[in-house]
Amino acid sequence: MFRLSAMRAGAFAATVTGLAIWSLAGGFFAREIVAEIAVLAILVIALDLAAGFGGMVSLAHGAIMGVGAYGYALAAQAGLPVWNASACGIAVAALFGGAMGAICMRTRGIFFIMATLAFGQMAWSFVFRSDALGGDNGLGGVPRPAVPGLETDAPLGFAIYALALLVLVFALTAAFLRSRAGRMLEALRDNPDRAAALGISASRYRIGAFALSSALAGVAGVLAAQHIQFVSPELLVWTASGEALVVLILGGIGTLTGPVIGAACFVLLKHWAAGWTDHWHLVIGALLILVVLAGGRGIYGEFEARRHA
Amino acid sequence: MSVFWTLQALNALQYAALLFLISAGLSVSFGLMGFVNLAHGALYMLGAYIGVSIAGGVGFWTALIVAPLAIGAIGAALHQGLLRRIAGAGPMPQVLVSFGLVFLAVEAVRIIWGDVPLTLDVPKALSGTRIILDTAYPSYRLFVILLGGAVALSLWAGMTRSHLGAAIRAAVENRDMARAIGIRTERLFLAVFTLGASLAGLGGVIAAPILSVSPSMAVTALIPALIVTVIGGLGSIPGAMLGAVIVAAIEVFGAALWPDASAVLIYAALAAALIWRPEGLLSAGRAR
Repeated sequence: MFRLSAMRAGAFAATVTGLAIWSLAGGFFAREIVAEIAVLAILVIALDLAAGFGGMVSLAHGAIMGVGAYGYALAAQAGLPVWNASACGIAVAALFGGAMGAICMRTRGIFFIMATLAFGQMAWSFVFRSDALGGDNGLGGVPRPAVPGLETDAPLGFAIYALALLVLVFALTAAFLRSRAGRMLEALRDNPDRAAALGISASRYRIGAFALSSALAGVAGVLAAQHIQFVSPELLVWTASGEALVVLILGGIGTLTGPVIGAACFVLLKHWAAGWTDHWHLVIGALLILVVLAGGRGIYGEFEARRHA
Repeated sequence: MSVFWTLQALNALQYAALLFLISAGLSVSFGLMGFVNLAHGALYMLGAYIGVSIAGGVGFWTALIVAPLAIGAIGAALHQGLLRRIAGAGPMPQVLVSFGLVFLAVEAVRIIWGDVPLTLDVPKALSGTRIILDTAYPSYRLFVILLGGAVALSLWAGMTRSHLGAAIRAAVENRDMARAIGIRTERLFLAVFTLGASLAGLGGVIAAPILSVSPSMAVTALIPALIVTVIGGLGSIPGAMLGAVIVAAIEVFGAALWPDASAVLIYAALAAALIWRPEGLLSAGRAR
């Protein structure tokens, strides 16, 4: 059962504080990286909810995030105020992810993974070929929100705004996991037969949790669109979903804090490796295999396991 | 039948032959070991690159033999060195490790062959066209159809007529029972994985003159192959054949008749298949 232990809350708070200090003290580059980390961390928290706590490993979360980003961009272009447009983006992502989850829920294990991968690719190829969505050129001119007291058009203001959203998403997810529905979701993952014997409708909880996870991925999408002020089919491509899974494993699946630490490590590692080689995917690929072979607990999961041992 | 329909039907068959070569190995190693190898598309891509390099030196026909053997060897090494260890570890580690392999393979290809897509000329003997039902059709594409058909037939015959095929079917049906009656499942897994990798490599070589050879092949081939496997059913050669024909027909006729919707038609078919028969049309053994 999920517990927001002092260690988890503390490690999360320390990481976010560290990122906030870095964006205050660092320059333009640091602030852009902090915003990038916040977007990825929100996406991976969403994936942790589905995969870590619900046992539904999805290879479509990048695509769901992209749907949220496009929903926001289109709603903003249609003239909606920024916050209403954000709500639209999140709702579209939740609807798309929920519908996809409902279909894929007929399958188990590896079939679920493959089915989500296929539907994610569907969203990508639809966006890629759709003239109304700008095709492979994407859509530009995406606005940033006005937040009282924060200058979100400046890198520092946006980084702080992104970190605030990350804290909000973390708190929401923790609250959900501690609720009755959240505990039910974990019970279903651990022992579907027992849950069925208690008369619990497994698919109802699972589909609901998948839709909630999709909504959070939509939050990441809206934030990503606001960050780069541009949306393109690149957002939906399957490697984005794969990367989210990599970060989840790297940080520690099923810990809620792991995604944030994983996202910070991954983005920093990526920029560091990209600094000396064009082929930084080599580093990521090798790292991924090593993390799995090392037991798959990830950085934070390993830390937690050793402290409790 | 008008020229248009003949042409589209032949195109669908040619695409189905290619899809079958990629899907057969994926489906059987999947049904046998419960192992999803997302790197299967990467093996296909490597097959194309190695094929182009060999064909440039010693000609297409040598490449057609040697490249699949090389990919089979790579597949066997991967299986023994890495994949065997995580085959029983559940879907998540399998997805992650094979995903890591895709990263490594794509970057290796970019380092060795560069980012510019490569092309391969059609071999001289097959450079012309043939008239089929009043329709001129490139000989090379006919050759692809025939090769795919021949491989499908021999795999089907091997699965139903040979001892090895019987052992594979028994292991797909019930792995523990197969072990109990003395089938050496570990050796069987290695043999099937190697064969599947070689077939993916063969697919890569014969696709090279039709498509341009680029690192994106690793993914563009994987997705339809996974859909073929889901629609056709696990671990079954007839299932892979049927799935390949269905997917190819939807893609080719969809693109010709209803281009606006063609991008999503195949996924609609996948959704329909998952709702109607989640275990696939011709699944062998139980779904895992």
